[in-house]
Amino acid sequence: MAQLTCIVVTPEATAVETKADFVVLPLYDGEIGIAPGRAPLMGRLGFGELRIKVAGLVTRYYLDGGFVQVSGNIVSVLTNRAVPAAEMDVAAATQQWQDARQMPILTSEQEAIRDRLLAQARGQLQVARRAKSART
Amino acid sequence: MAKARTLDKRRGSIRNIRKITRTMELIANARFKKAMDRATSATAYTRRITQLVADLAHSGLEVQHPLLEERPETHQAVLLVLTANRGMCGGFNSGVLRLAFEHYKRLTEEARTVRTEVSGKRGIAAMKFRQIVPDQSFTHFEDRPAYGDVEVLANRYMDEFTTRKIDRVDVVYTRFISSSKQEPVIETLLPLSSVEGLGAAESQPHTESQYEFLPSAESILQEVVPTSFRVKLFKCFLDAAVSEHIARMVAMKAATENADEIIRQLSMTYNRARQAQITGEIMEIIGGVEALQS
Repeated sequence: MAQLTCIVVTPEATAVETKADFVVLPLYDGEIGIAPGRAPLMGRLGFGELRIKVAGLVTRYYLDGGFVQVSGNIVSVLTNRAVPAAEMDVAAATQQWQDARQMPILTSEQEAIRDRLLAQARGQLQVARRAKSART
Repeated sequence: MAKARTLDKRRGSIRNIRKITRTMELIANARFKKAMDRATSATAYTRRITQLVADLAHSGLEVQHPLLEERPETHQAVLLVLTANRGMCGGFNSGVLRLAFEHYKRLTEEARTVRTEVSGKRGIAAMKFRQIVPDQSFTHFEDRPAYGDVEVLANRYMDEFTTRKIDRVDVVYTRFISSSKQEPVIETLLPLSSVEGLGAAESQPHTESQYEFLPSAESILQEVVPTSFRVKLFKCFLDAAVSEHIARMVAMKAATENADEIIRQLSMTYNRARQAQITGEIMEIIGGVEALQS
């Protein structure tokens, strides 16, 4: 069976480069699953979980926004940060959530900034929670 | 003629200095390689972004983004200066700072207020000397800037720019051109002048794109612009780090060679002085013998 090649690149390094049977990506509005033979796709990523399934094993990462490009059987992900889900910093995410909640909102730009911070914190917390439940 | 002993002492201390400069050269060499690797992996990211933008541009869309918008008047400008935390790297710091002060003068004439932000202890000290109080100073970037740290900075600039607290961001840093050429430059990062990859595709005819866009090409582009800014800023930091190591390597190599030269000269003088001393002593002995005989 054809396999996908999943490449995750951050500005610092190539975080992941692996073969995969199935990849789940956090798009801006929900998750998308990509199987081998997917039609070419270009998408905007949100803050959330990347799951790479190889031979029944699932590896989880937190992705911090970015883009995905699928063409051929290559999934290339460009993201600011790719953190293994088990290493998520829950305390920092909770702090960011609380700080963002208390930001003063006077203009629509400020609102957009706050929404982005909230979405980021929410994504991080969710990934951390899922990683915890996957382990137990 | 100087005393042979003092010459020997001097030669000894120069040998010690040579050891230090030689070690620093080796360290700088190793760090340069690491920094270079980081810069290369960052290039992989920018290349992919450029490719993505080029693919996007095939769908033929207009680019409009708050970060690209030119402001007719600059009320508040930000000048970010990237220097090293340590010296011993030849003209690296002074080159950047000279350019920074010139630009600072020009900016103060143009803009109502100029905010300076400095990275690196050397820059902070130089600002203090010129009695310019930097609004922010960073020493945590060191020679291995982390993307996470740079991102915080980039996000702050973007937030302030979109909320119109600042109208312009200029960065003064040392650009890495090749391992034998680096030069201090001023770059205006905000408003963003261009997004790489867009120009390349415009010359080609717009064909029906093979890609499915989620949610839409415009929306992706909206996100590409901030990313492009962040990566550009990150690249400045990486370039500065790589250039610093090269500068230190070159400076320390020159220092080591110079020490070698001095040691050679001192050795020669020392040998002469020693020979003169021996001759002197022999003369004295002969003189003494002659005196006894007569």
